[in-house]
Amino acid sequence: MVIRVSHLHKSFRVHRREAGWLEAVRSLWRRDYRIVEAVKDVSFTIEKGEIVGFLGPNGAGKTTTMKMLAGLLHPTSGEITVGGFVPFEQKAEFKKMMSLVMGQKSQLIWDIPPMETFLVNKAIYDIDDRSFRQTLEELTELLDLAPLLDKPTRSLSLGQRMRCELAAALLHRPQVLFLDEPTIGLDVHTQENVRRFIVDYNREHETTILLTSHYMGDVAALCDRVMIINYGRLIYDGELSVLTEKLAPYKRLEVRFSRLPNISWDEYGEVAEMEEGTVVLRVARETAAGTAARLLERFDVRDINIEDPPLEEVITRAFQEGVYGS
Amino acid sequence: MRRYGRVFREFFRACFVEEMEYRSEFFGNFAASFFGVGMALLTVHIFFYQTDDLGGWTYAEVLVLLGIFNMLRGFIDFALRPNMPRLLEHVRRGTLDYILTKPVDSMFYVSFRHLVFWRLIDVALGLGVIGYGLYIERYVPSAVDVLMFLVVMAASLLLIYSLWMMLMTTSFWVVRIDDLSFIFDSFFETARFPGSMYRGAVRMVITYVLPAVLITNTPALALLGKWSVSTVLAALAVAILFLWLARRFWRFALRFYTGAGG
Repeated sequence: MVIRVSHLHKSFRVHRREAGWLEAVRSLWRRDYRIVEAVKDVSFTIEKGEIVGFLGPNGAGKTTTMKMLAGLLHPTSGEITVGGFVPFEQKAEFKKMMSLVMGQKSQLIWDIPPMETFLVNKAIYDIDDRSFRQTLEELTELLDLAPLLDKPTRSLSLGQRMRCELAAALLHRPQVLFLDEPTIGLDVHTQENVRRFIVDYNREHETTILLTSHYMGDVAALCDRVMIINYGRLIYDGELSVLTEKLAPYKRLEVRFSRLPNISWDEYGEVAEMEEGTVVLRVARETAAGTAARLLERFDVRDINIEDPPLEEVITRAFQEGVYGS
Repeated sequence: MRRYGRVFREFFRACFVEEMEYRSEFFGNFAASFFGVGMALLTVHIFFYQTDDLGGWTYAEVLVLLGIFNMLRGFIDFALRPNMPRLLEHVRRGTLDYILTKPVDSMFYVSFRHLVFWRLIDVALGLGVIGYGLYIERYVPSAVDVLMFLVVMAASLLLIYSLWMMLMTTSFWVVRIDDLSFIFDSFFETARFPGSMYRGAVRMVITYVLPAVLITNTPALALLGKWSVSTVLAALAVAILFLWLARRFWRFALRFYTGAGG
């Protein structure tokens, strides 16, 4: 196993101040502190080559946990090992076997082409010429970097820049990759490309990947396994499909009629949405097929669609209800 | 150590490319440096219209001192000054995280990542002024003088680096001041002149507390053959002490940043 986390805690001391002039002045000499527990008793393990999605609303503790795994934050208590290293000891060997990409922060040198950043990283990671050339060649092909390498970074689009960020982070062939919101702000097409790259790269090199994202699409496309964190606690850790079944024991039945029949839908399912000729029903998983058949038989149906509820809905339910409790 | 040499070279190269991207006005900068040195020389010259010595130093000796001051300032502007605002940026924006995940010493990285190479002109001009001063003084330094000079010069560079680094490290707490370097400048300006020129408390402070005077005066005296082994050793000891302090302070700041016992 590559990553092992047990009973991880992290609390911050936060300076609390009321708004206003007087309060601002008063806080110069008297400060009220409040302890915020960002991560509470989190334990998990990740095997080599896994891609695990780390989900949670803003401020749930995702990034804090990831930073502790990358050795950037010191845990308040609990143990972490990554590839056999204790991250916070910040050993050079540890740093050489992992990499961190933050979607909101760039490591590329702004005014000059990405290639220059790559060369700086080559020196920093002490990569020999041959492996550097090989790796760069491979990444250039996978990420389609050839036209970007000699353009100043500032002139690249967000998507192009993210591709270069990924390359910069992978030049030293890390075995563990932490991706914090890697697709944030990207258009749908680029998101798709980045996802495909991550999947391919993972398959090729068996890189262990932990990923946080707001986009459920990322998670659905990349991860078989998800961990959900809320208020600092891990509330679910397991397969994505199991989560969906557990939390959303229903399917979405989207039916388009030639003319919307004016009936009570209770007999078929719970109405989720209704508009001009289309109705969306929530139907229990087992009966979904039967219900669809009945609708087709009784009404003039133009189109019918059975699908799992969107992941957003599932996750939102997880946050609201908790998983273990239900 | 050799690896750090390679990394430094790579930093230098990247900065060179960056500089070229903007086709920085090499000649403009060159002229500005020349003008700066010219003005400094003129100031010294005007002083000596009134008197024959400045705190016990002759005109030529003050020129040597000025040359050393200029060289050291060149080094500061070359390697240290460009990095100060960036560290503030890194702390404010959180990109320091990237630096901390790199397998290279973070203090080394934040202090030498950005280099403004054309500032080395000031180092060259400083050397010129030193040569001129020695010429007027009609003094040819012996090999031992030069050796002593090199040792104390190295100590001065270490000392400057350490003081600068300590100031820079405060950006973990003082994230609102955009450029802390003016604090350093106002104190370093005092090193332009012989320490013996100052009186009373000021002299005490800039000799012992913030050893600005030590930084420029000892190399100048060494080159003029007025060194003593004890001064040279003292300069080295002070430099190493300050480097150690700067290192400790940086570590402390990092522990604060990463929430370890802070």
